[in-house]
Amino acid sequence: MNLISGIDVTAGALNAQKTRLDVVAQNIANAQTTRTAAGGPYQRQVVSFESELMRRAGSTAAGPVGNNLQSVRVAAIAPDRTPGQQVYNPQHPDAGADGMVTMPNVNIAYEMVDLITASRAYEANLSVVKNARQMAMKALEIGK
Amino acid sequence: MIDPIFQTDNYQLARKLLDASVLRHEAIASNIANVETAGFRRLDIAPDFATQLKTRMAAGDFGRTADSLRPALVEDQTARSVRPDGNTVELERELLVMNRNLVEHDFLTEIVSRNIKQLKLAITGRGV
Repeated sequence: MNLISGIDVTAGALNAQKTRLDVVAQNIANAQTTRTAAGGPYQRQVVSFESELMRRAGSTAAGPVGNNLQSVRVAAIAPDRTPGQQVYNPQHPDAGADGMVTMPNVNIAYEMVDLITASRAYEANLSVVKNARQMAMKALEIGK
Repeated sequence: MIDPIFQTDNYQLARKLLDASVLRHEAIASNIANVETAGFRRLDIAPDFATQLKTRMAAGDFGRTADSLRPALVEDQTARSVRPDGNTVELERELLVMNRNLVEHDFLTEIVSRNIKQLKLAITGRGV
């Protein structure tokens, strides 16, 4: 039992959302990258989440409560396979014989939406910690 | 003589509800953490906890039988998904429930506190 309840669950979520923010940052930073180590233009990376059953010391199937609590973690960071936009730009060093350049499949509007969703989710999780702290402080004041 | 004060229905009930409110907070933490996990179903206190509490209160002598009653977390079967990924968590609802739970927790700690203060007053004869 934690003094501040649910903090282990929230910690996982904060971590996962932060990873997502990092990936969004990477996508935006590489929005114009036409050459990568793997060859070809940069491919947008997408984060997916999965829930993770919390294992607790001393909890058994029928025993102490709260043993089916689920935290969250990053399941995978996978590339988005949609083809990038073709732009006519014969001066570009990565242009093909026909003068077309394949740009990364990053759409800044999508990335901004993801960015805001992730930071809102992060804030929601933070407010859970804040409330848990308040509850713990109140509980410590019992009898005072 | 001190024993009966801690065996009163009110005190024991507040204790049990405090347990439940801490557990509910953990469930909400889990729900908000999984707000974007596909197929996740929201957790809540098992509905039979409230009914058990009610029947035991009605049967009387709750103070002595309270210890065997424990709240547990189960998937909320009443929550319906409005999203294509089958997730049943609504962030707004969770935040509201969380704030309600906080107030409930404050209220319950106050009750427990007052019980103890009353006892102190009886022992020392002065207010704390």
